[in-house]
Amino acid sequence: MDALIAKAEAIAPLGKRRKTFHPASQKGPKRPKDTSNSDHTLHSIAKHTAVPKSLSKLPDAAPTHGHIANKKLRLELNRHSAQAARAKELLKDAELLLGDEAGKIEVEGEMERTWRVGQNEIAQGAGQEAAKGRREWKLEGGPYQSRYTRNGRHLAIAGRTGHVATFDWQTGTLHSELQLQETCRDITFLHDQSHYAVAQKKYVFIYDRDGVELHCLKAHIEPTRLEFLPYHWLLATVGNAGYLKYQDTSTGQLLIEHRTKLGACTTMTQNVHNAVIHLGHQNGCVTLWTPNLPHPAVQILAHLGPVVDVGVDPSQGGRYMATAGKDGTVKVWDCRNWKGTVREWTVRGGGNVELDWSAKGSLAVASGGTVNVYNPPSIHTPMLTKAPPPLYITHPIPHRPITSLRFAPFQDILTIGHSAGLSSILVPGSGEPNFDSAEADPFENKKARREKEVKALLDKIQPDMISLDPEFVGSLAPPSKLTTVTTIDGKPPVEIPFARLPRLERLKVSGKADETEADNEDEGDDSNGKKFSREEREKRKMRGKGKSLKRYLRKQRKNVIDPTAVAIRAKLEKQKEEKLRAKLAAKNGESESRKSSALDRFKRTT
Amino acid sequence: MKISVLQHAPEAHLPIRPGDPTPTSRNLNPLMHPFSRARERTRALNAAKMDRIFAKPFIDSLEGHIDAVEVLTRQPGSLTTIASGSWDGGIILHNLSTRNRLISLPQAHKGKVSGMCFAAGDRLLSCGVDRNIKLWSVTSESSKTPLNVFPGKSAFNSIDHHRTDPLFATASSLVQIWDETKSAPVSNLTFPTSTETITSVRFNLSESSVLASIGSDRTFTLYDIRTGKAERRVVMQMRSNSLAWSPTFPTTVLLASEDHNLYTFDIRHLQTPSQIYKAHVAAVMSCDWSPTGLEFVSGGWDRTVRIWKEGQGHTPEVYHTKRMQRVTSSIFSGDARFVLTGSDDGNVRIWKAKASDKLGVVTARERAAMEYRESLKERWKMDTQVGKVARARHLPKSVYQASKLKRTMLDAQRVKEERRRKHTRAGESKPQAARKKIVIVEQT
Repeated sequence: MDALIAKAEAIAPLGKRRKTFHPASQKGPKRPKDTSNSDHTLHSIAKHTAVPKSLSKLPDAAPTHGHIANKKLRLELNRHSAQAARAKELLKDAELLLGDEAGKIEVEGEMERTWRVGQNEIAQGAGQEAAKGRREWKLEGGPYQSRYTRNGRHLAIAGRTGHVATFDWQTGTLHSELQLQETCRDITFLHDQSHYAVAQKKYVFIYDRDGVELHCLKAHIEPTRLEFLPYHWLLATVGNAGYLKYQDTSTGQLLIEHRTKLGACTTMTQNVHNAVIHLGHQNGCVTLWTPNLPHPAVQILAHLGPVVDVGVDPSQGGRYMATAGKDGTVKVWDCRNWKGTVREWTVRGGGNVELDWSAKGSLAVASGGTVNVYNPPSIHTPMLTKAPPPLYITHPIPHRPITSLRFAPFQDILTIGHSAGLSSILVPGSGEPNFDSAEADPFENKKARREKEVKALLDKIQPDMISLDPEFVGSLAPPSKLTTVTTIDGKPPVEIPFARLPRLERLKVSGKADETEADNEDEGDDSNGKKFSREEREKRKMRGKGKSLKRYLRKQRKNVIDPTAVAIRAKLEKQKEEKLRAKLAAKNGESESRKSSALDRFKRTT
Repeated sequence: MKISVLQHAPEAHLPIRPGDPTPTSRNLNPLMHPFSRARERTRALNAAKMDRIFAKPFIDSLEGHIDAVEVLTRQPGSLTTIASGSWDGGIILHNLSTRNRLISLPQAHKGKVSGMCFAAGDRLLSCGVDRNIKLWSVTSESSKTPLNVFPGKSAFNSIDHHRTDPLFATASSLVQIWDETKSAPVSNLTFPTSTETITSVRFNLSESSVLASIGSDRTFTLYDIRTGKAERRVVMQMRSNSLAWSPTFPTTVLLASEDHNLYTFDIRHLQTPSQIYKAHVAAVMSCDWSPTGLEFVSGGWDRTVRIWKEGQGHTPEVYHTKRMQRVTSSIFSGDARFVLTGSDDGNVRIWKAKASDKLGVVTARERAAMEYRESLKERWKMDTQVGKVARARHLPKSVYQASKLKRTMLDAQRVKEERRRKHTRAGESKPQAARKKIVIVEQT
């Protein structure tokens, strides 16, 4: 038996509690500290090994969860947050592995300006492969809309008069080309290049890659704008009727329709980081919509006059929004804080302004006959005057109107749709150089596309999880602010949320409790000088007597012994006594009090 | 002026030769992965649902007995050989992988077979209420007659073999140690004041001369065969029905109690159990550790089999079928992948130890996916929806109603106790922890 116990002690001692070290209880002379830390094994391998970086770098201040009472859960959460913090620090190391370099224009002299550089010069300066991005498509059929797939490989275009085409713009393979013979207002790819939706004269139609009409969505009447939310598989449309409709493209169900009550709407964009739909309206309002709210999550009056375009910056996690109005102003807003604009400026040639943000945060603004591109830090630095930020690149387009601007993902290309077709220009530094092939891969093959489709369907996020803050999923409820430090029944003070306090405590905290009983617990004084007992007084009291709260408090008061009240009462008693004593002393000592004499020192102290 | 425009080199992103794997590139910037948390949650929810969809734990039932299967034992060192003994006095040796009978001994004992264990060299020891211990050879269909018969004085309740020596212990009104070569017991072990019936006896797996027994007088007793006496005894509130030593931690012992709970005790500290395992709604009839020592199985009078994680005293995995009656015996298989249960209806059932486990060959990618799903479930178990899917188990109506009733009763008791403490002098002292109420007295 002893052998068994000894064996077990060697594996795990019985006492699970760690032995706490009490310096006071230590008896005898202090033992010298064991400094000869001679771990031979460690020394022998220390030269050749290193602790892995993931273990060596401990984050300084990972958030801890002190407010969580469950000890196991708290430890687990602390471990998670430490790991997350460590991973965040280690992200910097992973940046070394990013291979491709972003494009740029570097000025050499003081007097050089980037906006003076024309497209021909850029195309010459770029390599032969990159120069292919500079193109002009001369097409008949009215002003054109365009849209890229998420991997930036495929382009869909739709002319106002019904010319629709999708193609791989890099290899030049045409997937489909349709002459729809009716007005086409917008076009968008669905989850990938295999399907696309066109907003036609009356309904939204869905075509497959080869241009075969698959569906006619008759619920979407007179659509003007389309947006596809790829992670939720939702096609959002808005039309002349002013209804925002969400269609689930994986189940085919019309998810929900919101009546905007703001009339025909021709401006829509999505925030790619939280899947919120931004609409711009004729009365100058910009509204933010989620499927689960029947009213806009945010509504701001952005412009005097109609809003003509809205764009959300993808580079800052959807923090900045740019709006353009018919009044010829462009405004940049901070989406975390809607108190006025961050920056605003007036564009030349007003009217139809088009906007688009690139993945790196460049803002392209098309107005009149030019396209201007601005670069990030200056776009959202607050400025008092209404001056435009320094221009990065400008490009004149001789064909008005300019109807669409699209940056190509993972490329330095801006595609401009106008009345004579489309032109692509090179904007160095606007594209994200490193793609993640798990998200969007420009080089994916057929098999990878199929696999990604299945994976994306499995990972489809439910539409009710769309909210302004996408990080709410899986985050902890914040510690309640409404806690109060209270002592109940004489126990040590604890922090209890307000809602969980007993009623009397709740009344006390909110200041509604009748705390008078401590002072005039004993006989009270009436105005006449007559003395009544408390019962008498309460009996005589007329106003507010029958109130349920008063009645409740009166009943509570009878048998509750509140330790604080008792203490206060005792203190008051003491003070009263002291006062009385002082009074008496004053009374008696008044006659005796006189000037102190030198002989007082011989007085016998009693 | 220097101008450079972004261009991707196709040779870096396309396979060099046809047939090569496509190169992948990663960008860990969180902005490149929108909704990563929401997507991970969806994956976790899918993982939890898949786990429930594929939860088909029942594999097969081994028939052959006419009456309740009271004893199940596995051959040490073999993954497939299992012996089962029944109330009709029959013993059957099963092969788990082929699921056929190796040996069938229909009339091994008169009356029920109450204990069985394997001895070294493919031999099986069985004892019964007919006051005999029989030693059988299990190599082949050699003989229907035992190699040896050890006659005893009273009905035996349990038998266990020593790990290494040719010794075995039996339980009747006292614990007896037998030598395989001698026909009379070598020694008798009993606690000095004991007058009870010993229901089960087990040798420790690590310190093989220590053995433990449980008795009808609500006791748990420890003996040492070298000193030849009872070392310690504990009297509990309710009697235990089964006993199992942990295979990996030598001082841990598991008791299946009549009061619906299981207890693990550390024998260094017998005043309180180290963990209480609460989920059964009737007496627990049998228990057995997994060979890994991380899990154990228990079978109960409530017709359910539960698989517990060591140290987690609630929400075990629960198995049941329509036709399975009171579970009287349960063991883990030698590879910890299967659970065998014998029940009142005379069947031995084979279950998977992990309900949604895939039998058969698992490729490396499949294994990786499974592990990923496991960690997702673990990580998101606090999420309401994921946790609900992962925890929810369908129970037979009788068990469900019984657990509801039990919960009501316990709640009422708790409330009454609270009120009593609030309004009487009982409230002046601290309430006693549930763990401290189990053991009445410890005797040495």
